[in-house]
Amino acid sequence: MGELGIRIEHLRKRYGEGDTAVDALKDVNMTVAPGEVVGLIGPSGSGKSTLLKCLGAVIEPTGGRMVLGGEAIYDDGWKIPDLRALRRDSIGFVFQAPYLIPFLDVTDNVALLPMLAGRPNAEARTRARELLKALDVDHRAGAQPSELSGGEQQRVSIARALANQPPVILADEPTAPLDSERALAVVRILNQMAVQYHTAVIVVTHDEKIIPTFKRLYHIRDGRTHEERGEGITL
Amino acid sequence: MISLAGRDILHSWSKFVLTGIGLGLLIGVTLTMAGVYRGMVDDARALLNNSGADLWVVQQDTQGPYAESSSLRDDGVRSVLGLPGVARAANVTYLTMQVRRASVSGAAPAGSAKDDVRAMVVGFEPGQPGEPGYLVAGRHITRSHYEAVADVRTGFTLGERIRIRRHDYTVVGLTRRMVSSGGDPMVFIPLKDAQEAQFLKDNDAIVNERVRTAANPSLNRPGVPGLLEAIQASQANNRNVNAILVQVQPGTDAEAVAEPVRRWKHLEAFTREQMEEILVAKLIATSAKQIGMFLVILAIVSAAIVAFIIYTMTLGKIREIAVLKLIGTRNRTIAGMILQQALGLGLIGFVVGKVAATFWAPIFPKYVLLEPGDAVRGLVAVVVICALASTLAIRVALKVDPAAAIGG
Amino acid sequence: MKFSSIGSRRIALIGLGVLLVAAMAYVVMRSGPLAPTRVTVVQALEGQFTPQLFGIGTVEARRSYLIGPTAAGRVRAVAVDVGDMVKAGQPLAEMDPVDLDERTAALDASVARAGSAMAAAEAQRRDAEARKDLAAVNARRYVELGRQNFISAGAVEAKLQEQASADALVAAADANLAAARQDQQRVAAERAGLRQQRANVRLLAPADGVVTSRDAEPGSTVVAGQAVLRVIEPSSLWVKVRLDQARSGGLAVGLPAQIVLRSSSGRPLTGKVTRVEALSDSVTEERVAQIGFDQLPAGLSVGELAEVTLSLPPTSKAVLLPNAAIKRRNAQTGVWVIDAGVLRFAPVRVGQASLDGQVQVLGGVQPGMTVVVHSEKEIGERSRITVVDTLAGR
Repeated sequence: MGELGIRIEHLRKRYGEGDTAVDALKDVNMTVAPGEVVGLIGPSGSGKSTLLKCLGAVIEPTGGRMVLGGEAIYDDGWKIPDLRALRRDSIGFVFQAPYLIPFLDVTDNVALLPMLAGRPNAEARTRARELLKALDVDHRAGAQPSELSGGEQQRVSIARALANQPPVILADEPTAPLDSERALAVVRILNQMAVQYHTAVIVVTHDEKIIPTFKRLYHIRDGRTHEERGEGITL
Repeated sequence: MISLAGRDILHSWSKFVLTGIGLGLLIGVTLTMAGVYRGMVDDARALLNNSGADLWVVQQDTQGPYAESSSLRDDGVRSVLGLPGVARAANVTYLTMQVRRASVSGAAPAGSAKDDVRAMVVGFEPGQPGEPGYLVAGRHITRSHYEAVADVRTGFTLGERIRIRRHDYTVVGLTRRMVSSGGDPMVFIPLKDAQEAQFLKDNDAIVNERVRTAANPSLNRPGVPGLLEAIQASQANNRNVNAILVQVQPGTDAEAVAEPVRRWKHLEAFTREQMEEILVAKLIATSAKQIGMFLVILAIVSAAIVAFIIYTMTLGKIREIAVLKLIGTRNRTIAGMILQQALGLGLIGFVVGKVAATFWAPIFPKYVLLEPGDAVRGLVAVVVICALASTLAIRVALKVDPAAAIGG
Repeated sequence: MKFSSIGSRRIALIGLGVLLVAAMAYVVMRSGPLAPTRVTVVQALEGQFTPQLFGIGTVEARRSYLIGPTAAGRVRAVAVDVGDMVKAGQPLAEMDPVDLDERTAALDASVARAGSAMAAAEAQRRDAEARKDLAAVNARRYVELGRQNFISAGAVEAKLQEQASADALVAAADANLAAARQDQQRVAAERAGLRQQRANVRLLAPADGVVTSRDAEPGSTVVAGQAVLRVIEPSSLWVKVRLDQARSGGLAVGLPAQIVLRSSSGRPLTGKVTRVEALSDSVTEERVAQIGFDQLPAGLSVGELAEVTLSLPPTSKAVLLPNAAIKRRNAQTGVWVIDAGVLRFAPVRVGQASLDGQVQVLGGVQPGMTVVVHSEKEIGERSRITVVDTLAGR
């Protein structure tokens, strides 16, 4: 594995203190290379959400090490002063629902992140249109989110996640509400984008329809991860 | 960077505009109340300005003639004229009363509201202080009796005949902004007619008085023919006025002329500043307090409305705020969006309120004076109130946990 | 709400905002403190008018008489009533003579007695004369005898003394006679006076006229000077008019007058100034003039109010302006002139004024100048003004 991508070593997360303490994560180890799409599966309550939140830098782990894009962001303590900027610049989020900003049009929804990063508006919008084109939704560039179909909205949200060229994308059950054809389409796109933009992608899912598509899988059970070879069905 | 607040407003503009209009009407009422207060002060100033006097000479130990009743002998004006520094001095009378339209048939209509106008009847001498300084229609009084100049707020027209006590007067001129300190429009008539109107009683009372005098044996002496007639004639006479208006020579200090009047003439004299203080500080003081209270209440209500609206709008955006925070939007940006929305609402409300107040001010029964200074102060207050009102919503927004976007 | 794009929606909302702001700006500029003051103007023109004087008067009788007794007494009879026409000399009323007749009789008796007293005094005088003659003769004789020493000197003196006494008696009798005569004259005069008083008991009309009031009924007691009846000459009714001293310039006898009576305000009457009183009322500051009617109307009552307008001869040509244009500033009288778009206060001298509001302006304003007449508020040199046709007044 190169230095880019994401590497997690012995990550732990404990909620609470003393007798009521709960160890949501006990020992998590993961490595994802740029361009790779790995799945993270596990039963509910196994710590999937907690792991995502730690990876997403919204909660603080209790111990371990996280290296992102070659930089150690966590090593028994945050090593980055501005987590919010980290999220903005280095982590792309794809949610179960598209969660587009309803009062921004499609282009601005995607261009928002680069604008927040300080890019001039014109440049941000150009980049947004490129991404929309790549995802085949550029014909809806000027529309309001409420006018798009569910699938189009999901593609726009993927474009938004890619807008700042983050080294990693975290996708949280992105195919849960979709039927098998669309679910596979989403996974196909994620793979395409991962390769095209050299992004490491972690997909948290328990959707049986797409699990076979992963070449590598991480199982998480009881706070521990366990790597597995996936079927890697070609899409 | 685009304006998130602007986009949000554009997106749900109907809600914004409707709330803005509602808020605007409230602000309009606030501005109007401030205008009513300014109008009252302006009424008092207009009264003092329009009389054209530098000094008011009234009955001793009274604060008349506007705040209190004052009665003087009318020959006092001659001794005042003789004082050094006095350029002109003249008698005036003031009486607030109902003035009727003399109907064509000659009989006065029985007190129907439309034909009865409450006015301050001013008795003045032509060419002397007390005469209206400018007219908006018609001419000044030229005859010594039975002509009148009325303010447009009475509703009288040129050539109309009006009835004051027992005589009919023809309206020959119209004025504007000639009002008493209470806002009643003025009607100017010759001094002698005004003296008779103020002090002469109605016919029944006069006849009664005559009979009573005739029944008094010490006044009705058979051995002194003509005594009874002389007494009755003196009873029907009146030689009182309410005040003497004085104009001083240019360059003379009014106080310097007032001092000898107070000391040697057994009269009271007030300069312009003192009259203004009496009218504004004493006469208007209670109303000023009431209006001040209203303004405070209205400001609080406006603040509450803005706070509530912005808070509700923010609550409706909690999920978007969580997503924004998660994908990396600064807290500052989110707080700024909410603040801008609050300010935008306030600005819409202010513009609507100012326009509404300007359009309905002339219809108000009392004189409403909308000063630009008040509008600026109102704008500043609206901005401050909106900023404060938005803090509630901003606190809520800041407390949102970005992790909430990552569902379990 | 769906719009084609954010752009058009934004434009629409901005347009609405601009409209609102424009409305506000319009209103602020047109009314409120920032707006220009609206005024009406007039061109100064030369002309002339007929000045008039106005005053209120009461109808009075030029000649009115108070008919009453010259001494206190009781009214016995009143022959006429209010409204009756009387002729000069006609008996109108009679006072009770009370004891006048008796006193006259007593004085008659006194006169007779005075006559008798005079007769007695005359007789006494004749008697004294006779004695005096005798005493004189005796005295002469005795003096002669005394000279011839026929009798004693004492006897002569005695006779001389008798003669002196007799002379004195004659003088006394003369005096008595004179006194009696004077007494008779006195009593005769008293009687004449009482007769005169008796004549005064009858009250006669001093001239033709009409009775206007009956102030005492038979049986009432009146004092000297109190009126029993009042009579006026109806042809002498005139209007006593009072004019403000300040506005009575040109008042003279002979000016034509228009009289409008309170009772018939629709029908003006004509008259002339008959007399201008030399005494004015300094308390009310009024001059008094008497206006005679050209034709006395019927049904005129004394005490009725009238409005009198006197016409003076027309003025000479001068610049005329409406009196609403005349303003006072500091101690100066003047008008506001618009000179090439700039406001200027032009001091003027004011001449005569007409009753319908025109005044003569002597000096300060030339014909053709634009003068401000009506204004919405007080104006100064720096006021912004706009000229309109009318301000108010419908």
